[in-house]
Amino acid sequence: MDKNILKEIVGEHEGGFSFANAKRNEYLTQNGGVMPNATKTGTTIVGLIYKDGVVLGADTRATAGTIVADKNCAKIHYITPNIYCCGAGTAADTEFTTNIVSSQLALHSMNSGRQAHVSTAMTLLKQYLFRYQGHVSAALVLGGVDINGPHLYTVYPHGSTDKLPFVTMGSGSLAAMAIFESRFKPNMERDEAVELVKDAIESGIFNDLGSGSNVDVCVITKDKVDYLRNYAKPNERVPKLKSYKFARGTTAIISETVRKFNSVKDEDAMEVV
Amino acid sequence: MTSVGTGYDLSVSTYSPDGRLFQVEYAGKAVDNSGTTIGIRTKDGVVLAVEKIIPTKLEVPGSNKRIFSIDKHIGFASSGWMPDVKGLVARAREEAWEYQKLYKVPTPSKILAERIGMYIQAYTLYSSVRPFGAMPIMASVDKDGPQLYMFETSGAYYGYRGCATGKAKQLARTELEKLDIDSLSIRDAIKEAARIIYTVHDDSKDKLFELELAWVSQESGNVFSKVPQDIFDEAVQYAKRANDDDSDDDDDL
Amino acid sequence: MAVQFDGGVVVGADSRTTTGSYIANRVTDKLTQIHDTIFCCRSGSAADTQALADIVQYHMQLYAVQHDEQPPVKVAASLFQELCYSNKDALMAGIIVAGVDPVYGPSVYNIPLGGSLHREEFAIGGSGSAYIYGYCDDYFKPNMNRSECVDFVKNAVSLAMLRDGSSGGVIRLAVITPDSVERIFVPGNELPKHYEG
Repeated sequence: MDKNILKEIVGEHEGGFSFANAKRNEYLTQNGGVMPNATKTGTTIVGLIYKDGVVLGADTRATAGTIVADKNCAKIHYITPNIYCCGAGTAADTEFTTNIVSSQLALHSMNSGRQAHVSTAMTLLKQYLFRYQGHVSAALVLGGVDINGPHLYTVYPHGSTDKLPFVTMGSGSLAAMAIFESRFKPNMERDEAVELVKDAIESGIFNDLGSGSNVDVCVITKDKVDYLRNYAKPNERVPKLKSYKFARGTTAIISETVRKFNSVKDEDAMEVV
Repeated sequence: MTSVGTGYDLSVSTYSPDGRLFQVEYAGKAVDNSGTTIGIRTKDGVVLAVEKIIPTKLEVPGSNKRIFSIDKHIGFASSGWMPDVKGLVARAREEAWEYQKLYKVPTPSKILAERIGMYIQAYTLYSSVRPFGAMPIMASVDKDGPQLYMFETSGAYYGYRGCATGKAKQLARTELEKLDIDSLSIRDAIKEAARIIYTVHDDSKDKLFELELAWVSQESGNVFSKVPQDIFDEAVQYAKRANDDDSDDDDDL
Repeated sequence: MAVQFDGGVVVGADSRTTTGSYIANRVTDKLTQIHDTIFCCRSGSAADTQALADIVQYHMQLYAVQHDEQPPVKVAASLFQELCYSNKDALMAGIIVAGVDPVYGPSVYNIPLGGSLHREEFAIGGSGSAYIYGYCDDYFKPNMNRSECVDFVKNAVSLAMLRDGSSGGVIRLAVITPDSVERIFVPGNELPKHYEG
């Protein structure tokens, strides 16, 4: 680029960063301008406590802006053999946060020779998230069964927690909560509980644009975990009624040329003197 | 001294074969070189008394005090190496201040005693440091009443009704044991403390000395402070009279 | 809010936690036990106040072990103040500390946003408190008995819940006396009746 034109654009400086936009943005915000927000991934995740343990549920849509990045991702993360955690927010953050806490608890269990408590997992998560003051975008539903029985928590990105018998999170949480608020009752049977969780997730899948695809369910009891991957597939692709293949000859041939190639033999390399 | 020449007394981080730390014991000897300090704890207060030996009459009267206040309600008196005493006093003041700053309640003496004990103990662990040549006596009145602690050069500390350290500690302890401390009032305790210091002072070895007296009691408003002049004078009179009576028994002057 | 009475203290709070206009938790327990007979009432950011309460809780356990006695309420309040004041730029926390201890007896401390510390006979805080200053100033009297005090707190909190959009749900109470803590739960359909227009 011509030096003079460059000078006109960036001034006398020839290298380094230009912070002109920072000043502009500051001016805009001062005058009522709104900066574009980082888009949050849409999700529906839920959990409830039933007679023998905890049921967790999640949809399987991962989005990048308006694009569906993954139609069948797994949002129920493993923490310890008796604890699982659903994640909403930035996929990388939920993945790493749950992984870090999972490894800390694995070491803790080996050191103490005891099964991890759900409250310990909750404390580690909230302390980690609080340290990052909300910049780690992980909104979690943490569930598990330990020596003290079943436990269910929500953990917010800023590090606050709630302990409740039924919870929902993510952009589809309102749709899912509507289902829970109308149909939840304490001490449900397993089948009833799983059905309610499935319906809550489907409510998110159908009514929330950020959520979609399939339903993952995880049932945690005192001595068994059933990870029901794709427990329901309400959006299965159906076989197409018609064939959309183009018939031969649809594209007209305008011209035709045939060329002959010379064949090359494999010989010793030429010697360089 | 059986330890001399064995090599086990060269470092504070090495035990002798029979499990002693000679450097810590030597620190105790350093304390024995200085004037006697005593403390008496009665049910209504604590008094500290120091026999401050004056090496030269050029020294300004009342200077180089051996009694220090740590907090409003806590005081120190100590025999031993003066710079070491001051080091411990500075640390004690810091600890008391930190506690008060964090909790906003008066520092309990048992907590301060524990922290000072641990501080002294830390100086018995490393070959690069020397144990403190000081045995401070700490007096206070806190919510559990009057308290008296004495620290040893090892960092060990105990609560006492009466305690003594320094040159004539044995004699002073014998005198303290003769007292019926439980029935003593703080006013009487001040007199007895003065008397004991005058009794144990050895004129033939150290000619000059100054008596220092400090107390903390209900009467002093639970504030650690110098004993007021009138009470001080009364105590000195009592001490001198008692000692004159004693010496009259021995020989006529 | 927290109120001192002749044998202890009563602490009370509504149960609403909001994220924007959505009620994230309608049965929150905003009364957090800091030690055997010390509670705090949390208002402001849930994350900040929970983190603070956890830190102070740890310090109180340590204090109890090191001193071999119940920590004074004043000590808990002082720790909260130190944390609130020294991190005032990063926190949104209004905390009331209340409880009973063997040395100072029943006591209530208020630590508002800037991190100052005030001992009060009763303290109110949070968004709903603005609506009940008048009621509290008029109806509070020193040295109430236990049931008078519980009724006073119930009425004040329910009045705040009616007028403040960010407050609501149920009332949670704790009655703290030297050797016991009684938790009281008032469901949303059993709140004291007030003028409803």
